[in-house]
Amino acid sequence: MELTKINEKSMINVNCLVKDFGNHRVINGINATVSPGEVVVLIGASGSGKSTFLRCLNGLEALTSGEILIDSVPLERNSKSLKEIRRQVGMVFQQFNLFPHLTVLENIIEAPIHVLNRPKSKAIKDAQELLSKVGLFDKQNCYPGTLSGGQGQRVAIARALAMQPKIMLFDEPTSALDPELVGEVLSVMKQLAEDGMTMVVVTHEMGFAKEVADRVIFIDEGRIVEEGSPTQIFGNPQETRTQTFLGRLSH
Amino acid sequence: MNLDFSVIIKYLPFLLQGAGLTIELAVLGIAFGIFIGIIAALLKISHTPLRYVAHFYIWLVRGTPLLVQLFLIYFGLPQLGITLSAFASSVLGLGINSGAYLAEVFRGGIEAIPKGQTEASLSLGMGKFLTMRRIIFPQALRISIPSLGNQFIISLKDSSLCSVITMSELLQTSQRFASVTFGSLEFYTTAALLYLLMTTVISAVLRSLEWRLSKENRTRAC
Repeated sequence: MELTKINEKSMINVNCLVKDFGNHRVINGINATVSPGEVVVLIGASGSGKSTFLRCLNGLEALTSGEILIDSVPLERNSKSLKEIRRQVGMVFQQFNLFPHLTVLENIIEAPIHVLNRPKSKAIKDAQELLSKVGLFDKQNCYPGTLSGGQGQRVAIARALAMQPKIMLFDEPTSALDPELVGEVLSVMKQLAEDGMTMVVVTHEMGFAKEVADRVIFIDEGRIVEEGSPTQIFGNPQETRTQTFLGRLSH
Repeated sequence: MNLDFSVIIKYLPFLLQGAGLTIELAVLGIAFGIFIGIIAALLKISHTPLRYVAHFYIWLVRGTPLLVQLFLIYFGLPQLGITLSAFASSVLGLGINSGAYLAEVFRGGIEAIPKGQTEASLSLGMGKFLTMRRIIFPQALRISIPSLGNQFIISLKDSSLCSVITMSELLQTSQRFASVTFGSLEFYTTAALLYLLMTTVISAVLRSLEWRLSKENRTRAC
């Protein structure tokens, strides 16, 4: 595979990324770039390494080798660099990971107050705006335990957005949801994409990928097998492995 | 049989005073124990060599009787030039002792919090210390409250051992009047009832605390 050149304008640059868990090589030399405002969807079977790849992008997994640049700043394994990068890279998890001891509003203002040193009144105002945007203004004083899955994930998105990140990572954001609740989360994500957010999304929602993605990347055995526009990947996949994977999905 | 509980009435104010000291010892001891316990728990789960210090402390304290620890502090330390009052020795002994058990309680609580909580907090740009202080520990403390209450009750009863290093707490006061009046049964029964009263109140207070802190688990009309 041709080595991706470091593009001054790109938001994410990944060079020769390798990640091992013990003796098992989960990511086997990934090169990728993501441009500002681009929505990239990662697809692939479970265990293909797509979630691990995503978790490398904000330093939740340490790299075995390779290089990641976020907005031209290299991700280094020290707490200062990690904190700095994570302020700019929001992440949404499959299991939401809301803080159960804090109300919805407290969940959202926690990091702006303690990391960005925002005054509490300003943080609350911003949080309420975000909650209106995801349609949950009236839930601000509820605890996460009282929310439905779809509501919880929308709060988690608002919580990540409260840090005003340049990039948003989504790790299978709808996989833990009941089918009827998937739509409300996807529509929030779609809105975010329309607002110009740079997004990297791991998902099994092929409908979302077709509709919203600028580019689809198919990962198998820790490598990028094929990438291209949704039309290309879903309409006319070139690689046998991509064809097999997509074939299995449609049955 | 010559039981005469009327004698108790006369000495009750002194017994209550002794019970007051018992409460004081238990509260200060457990407060000190919580402080040491948190530090030891954090050290134990840290990946620094300091975790061995925590291991050693827990091993040493849990493996020796509190009475021996109190003797070492009150009678032994003066030989090293460290003389503590009986009160300070008692609080220190109860604190060090309960701290070793609480360290394990807190460690268990911290480890019970799902890893996703830490990941979510870190991914918001919060550092490890902030994550522990604001996200993990508050949740761990809630889980730990029943065990914390248990240790409080144990410490309250264990404070009776401080009687042998001259503390006039409930047991020693009872002992004194029991021998003066030859009313062992009356005085020790009263002491037992007072201990029972104190531990019952503690249990009730902790149950309500637990209930109040678990409000996020209750479904509230939102």
